[in-house]
Amino acid sequence: MAELLSAEEIIELKGQIAAVHEPRELIIEVLQAVQKSHGWVPDAGVKLAAELLGLSPLQVDEVATFYDKIYRSPVGRKVIHVCDSICCWTRGTELVYRHLQQVLGIVPGETTSDGCFTLLPTCCLGACDKSPAMRIGDRLYGELTVERVNTILADERQETEA
Amino acid sequence: MPTLIIDNQSVTVPEGTNVLEAAQQLGIVVPHFCYHEALGAVGACRLCAMLFIDGPVKGMQMSCMVEAKDGMVVSTEAPEAVAYRGQVIEWLMLNHPHDCPVCDEGGECQLQDMTVASGHSVRRYTGKKRTYLNQDLGPFIHHEMNRCIQCYRCVRTYQDYCGGTDYGVLGSNQRLYFGRFQDGPLESPFAGNLIDLCPTGVLTNKPYRFTSRFWDLQEAPSVCPHCSLGCATIPGARFRELQRVRSGNNPEINGCFICDRGRFGYDYVNHSDRPRTPLLHGEEIPWNEALETLLQRLTKLIECHGSDSIALLGSGRASLEANYLLQRLSEQLGSAAPVYGSHAGRDRAARAATTLPTELSASLADVRNSDLILLTGADPLAEGPMLALAIRQAVRNGGRVMICDPRPVELPCSTEYLACQPQELLQLLSALSLGETLPTKLQPLVEALQLAQRPVLIGGGDLLGAEGTTALLAAAQKLNSEDRSCLAMVLLPEANSFGAALLAADGPDFEQLLADMASGRIKALVCLEADPLTDCPDRQQLLQGLEQLDFLAVFDHLPSLIAAKADLLLPTTALAEGAGTLINNEGRMQAFAPVFSPGQPLRITSQGNHPPRSFSTTTPGALPCQAWALLAKLCDLPVDLAKIRRELATQEPRLAGLPDLLAEGSGQRIQSADKPLSQPHALITEQVDALQLLACETLYGSEVLSAHSSPLDPVRPQPYLLLHELDADRLGIAAGDLVRLSAGEIQLTLPAQLSDRMAAGVVIVPHLRRTELESFYPGQPSQPCRVEKVSAL
Ligand code: SF4
Ligand code: SF4
Ligand code: FES
Ligand code: FES
Repeated sequence: MAELLSAEEIIELKGQIAAVHEPRELIIEVLQAVQKSHGWVPDAGVKLAAELLGLSPLQVDEVATFYDKIYRSPVGRKVIHVCDSICCWTRGTELVYRHLQQVLGIVPGETTSDGCFTLLPTCCLGACDKSPAMRIGDRLYGELTVERVNTILADERQETEA
Repeated sequence: MPTLIIDNQSVTVPEGTNVLEAAQQLGIVVPHFCYHEALGAVGACRLCAMLFIDGPVKGMQMSCMVEAKDGMVVSTEAPEAVAYRGQVIEWLMLNHPHDCPVCDEGGECQLQDMTVASGHSVRRYTGKKRTYLNQDLGPFIHHEMNRCIQCYRCVRTYQDYCGGTDYGVLGSNQRLYFGRFQDGPLESPFAGNLIDLCPTGVLTNKPYRFTSRFWDLQEAPSVCPHCSLGCATIPGARFRELQRVRSGNNPEINGCFICDRGRFGYDYVNHSDRPRTPLLHGEEIPWNEALETLLQRLTKLIECHGSDSIALLGSGRASLEANYLLQRLSEQLGSAAPVYGSHAGRDRAARAATTLPTELSASLADVRNSDLILLTGADPLAEGPMLALAIRQAVRNGGRVMICDPRPVELPCSTEYLACQPQELLQLLSALSLGETLPTKLQPLVEALQLAQRPVLIGGGDLLGAEGTTALLAAAQKLNSEDRSCLAMVLLPEANSFGAALLAADGPDFEQLLADMASGRIKALVCLEADPLTDCPDRQQLLQGLEQLDFLAVFDHLPSLIAAKADLLLPTTALAEGAGTLINNEGRMQAFAPVFSPGQPLRITSQGNHPPRSFSTTTPGALPCQAWALLAKLCDLPVDLAKIRRELATQEPRLAGLPDLLAEGSGQRIQSADKPLSQPHALITEQVDALQLLACETLYGSEVLSAHSSPLDPVRPQPYLLLHELDADRLGIAAGDLVRLSAGEIQLTLPAQLSDRMAAGVVIVPHLRRTELESFYPGQPSQPCRVEKVSAL
């Protein structure tokens, strides 16, 4: 396994950890750093985070497994989080969700064979006013329709290929 | 004290009681899961719904989350409440497997009980159930996650109450998983409490798995014999075998929890080598002959050699009643008073501990409630594990813990640690008791003691000895005032060390006995559940003394070294097989009731097969008798425990409450002595240059009964030696290196462990019975030693 964090990153994180009152505050930050460099957080990443934070691996994993934006298993280059909460339900997210599965040829939790997309449901994205909504990477998309989804997917795919 | 009405009955409860508890006081049990008396209420399971009809709160409420208030009118039976609870239990049961008959929790399952109580009897859900892979959680606990109802009790027990960090909750919503990061043994020495606290079959007792249904067990209220704290336990037996121990509930001592030594140390009772027949020179003889022989031999020896040729040896393992009757026997024979304890140092420390006035003695409840705990020479996890848990609760309530010790004392909470040499501990305590100034390094301690409202001083008899113990008690008395109480607690080696020491009073100790044996004056020795061969630090002298005996009689239930040498062996019952009283380290008398009758376990007689098909009117291995009953016969007294207790209470005014003692209930403190506490003197200690060797108790492997318990085999440590990093550096030793330890005549090769959290100049070895380290005995002054490197790791 490639190095999870560089020496500089580790020094930087240690500094941040030393500055907070309670190391638990930074569990997410450390895990995100691992995820940024590795794509997802393997067991070794949890152990490394635990070591840096002075916590047990279990204490870190409790947080890591609670949040669906921390990936504890390998994901594609881009992760699609489709909102699976109440406002989006009332505005037809089901159609969007079904369409995504059809065009990508995968069910929730799977990754496309080209390794490009992973599809996951998520709780409210805070974009209820633009529901139905989804998030790909850090980009938020609202007012989804089947047509819009097709364009978004094409653009996103193009970006990964570029 | 608010008064409220629940189901048309009025009840008055203390301030702060919640409505669920108030209903329980009326005998109304409303289904609930997440509330637990020791863990409190969190309102998570939504099961304890009641309808609030009148008063400050109205409507359907979670009763565990509502504080009882005046004027409340509450119904547990309102149709809305019943329907609500029915729905909640139905969805709690959605994913639950439908296989109680193959679940080890069945029969003592809160989920079964609550499901029935909530009226859910037909399953409507036909969808798929959520399933999990289980983990291997080590030798004590079996894991079956499919049975989980997400009540969080395990996490609250393990992390919050016990301070464990390796078990918790993973995932979210429908995918919650209660377990470890990876498979592996649970690290907390209190992990066994998960068995009692998990209300379903997720976490069950592994050594006991598939052994019995709850309703087939014989159970009785009992007291744990594995340290001096005396936690309440409920042992369970079946097929002439002690199969498990669960926690009892003594609010003054352990609350609802026990340690894993107490839970899994029981198997000595089932030991296959346990003495079960009276033996004279290895030949079986009937009981009446055995007792007659004993009396005849003793009287004969007295006739020939005088009454001081007989020595009787009691112990902190034997009950108060048996130890007392040993005294009666000595009076009857005209011999010297019994010696109590095969280790003179420990005996003397215990005797010093008995001088503490009752009002200054701290219970574990006092410790939980303290705001400053000062540990001097006490290692709770090794010498009284539940004390560690009590200290953790004090810290959770904002209390502070300061540790002065040569050992790296670890606790499941935050502490302040000051490394001290053993002799510094004595100086510290005597300075405190005399109001002298402390060395600057101990200044933080003085300030903390000034600020504290409810300080407790805790010491270990092993490290402090009689002198240090006296100083500790005097220090508590000095710091105790009208405005704020300062209490003390001393950890002693055995469950009834206090009781034995109380009876010992000013009598002889084992050192005097050894000298008398060596001089050849003693011709007969009678041991009552005592094994000097494993407990007397001076084994050489003891062996010489034993050589000179004409007659050795041993009452015991352990296959001890001394039992193997006995001319006359009198098999006694283990604690769970009889009744009696123990006095714990705070001076609390506690009675225990018989759980089952002795007999060779079916597991042994049938060797894993069908029980033998031959019939007999006697039970195999059922001969062991209660030691007190045998001694009563020898003294020609009625075999009647109540009478013996009454007599003892009149003889010893400090035991006045003994006749009223019940096995149920939280026991009773003994009365204070009418003597004032003795005052320690200022101590002058000389500087030592050589490394000092200190043998210390460990959590597993030191206590003699649990050392014979097979469920603890996997957790007993291998011998090792512990050094300060600075000393190791100087000697060129790295962690894991093999080193040669030379102390006195003994030379041993051991792996080295290093620590920077201990006193420099001290070498520590654990007291591990039945290993090469067993000859290093705690409760002794440290001895000079040498450590050299033999080979690297
Ligand atoms: S494992 Fe047991 S105690 Fe823990 S949440 Fe599940 S049912 Fe409750
Ligand atoms: S702390 Fe002592 S008395 Fe309590 S359960 Fe453990 S060994 Fe038994
Ligand atoms: S419910 Fe979908 S964004 Fe809020
Ligand atoms: S016991 Fe009240 S909500 Fe669980």
